[in-house]
Amino acid sequence: MDIISQLQEQVNSIAALAFNTFGTLQRDAPPVRLSPSYPEPPPSTTEDPTNFAEQPKLMSAALVKAAKQFDALVAALPPSEGGEEAQLRRIAALQAENDAVGQELQKQLEAAEKELKQVQELFTQAADNCLNLKKPD
Amino acid sequence: MATATYPPPPPYYRLYKDYLQNPKSAPEPPPPIEGTYVCFGGNYTTDDVLPSLEDQGVRQLYPNGPNIDFKKELRSLNRELQLHILELADVLVERPSQYARRVEEISLIFKNLHHLLNSLRPHQARATLIHILELQIQRRKEALEDIKRRREEAQRLLKESLATLDGQ
Repeated sequence: MDIISQLQEQVNSIAALAFNTFGTLQRDAPPVRLSPSYPEPPPSTTEDPTNFAEQPKLMSAALVKAAKQFDALVAALPPSEGGEEAQLRRIAALQAENDAVGQELQKQLEAAEKELKQVQELFTQAADNCLNLKKPD
Repeated sequence: MATATYPPPPPYYRLYKDYLQNPKSAPEPPPPIEGTYVCFGGNYTTDDVLPSLEDQGVRQLYPNGPNIDFKKELRSLNRELQLHILELADVLVERPSQYARRVEEISLIFKNLHHLLNSLRPHQARATLIHILELQIQRRKEALEDIKRRREEAQRLLKESLATLDGQ
């Protein structure tokens, strides 16, 4: 895939990682005590001890890795020489050179075809002479 | 179930009755459209240009000059994005009701990022064109050299055969 499409894909994946991170944290966060006047929330089961503490770490590590990869891709962009006018000038110069080389090629091609026809003509003459010189037995 | 038949062909097919005998007796095809046109009730334009951010009502975060340093702007936007994500996490912990503005700023950064990347596309198209032209010139030069070599080879062979025939 070309570099700009890769950059666009990387931006989209950073966005996806960000909202997955926040969504997962909001969904799985254990209830917390808001103020001393409310009772302590009931301890929730299932996921808490096992991997809830690691999830923020893992997800933020993935986010930072994606951002670093974006930077690496940006560094891999080819250097933008000049601007639009420089590119257009180069295109015009290349077109002129292409036309010149094309003309030359056309000339050589015509000369070569002419020579081919001459050789073929000579060959038919020589073959006819051979046939005429051979006497039937 | 009611079904509709296909619509009939447009009625000006009769004008092309003698096309095989006389191609000039029939009307010319319509010229290409320029400017804006209406297709199935929607307005389209033939001038395909990337609409600027202000046209879409989005604030532009990177400075706009004649030549933008894309790499620098992309990198700085990336850093801004990371900082804003961190800010959003902080806001959610401390003042959860104020998330909306942070989310808006993050989406603004994303829109700017995508607009920058899209504005790189014309540059890429011109660079591709330059590359194709260079390849074509190189191939033509190689073909030219090839033809010249073969012609000289053929001349040499003819001279040799002439020499052998004369020496016979």
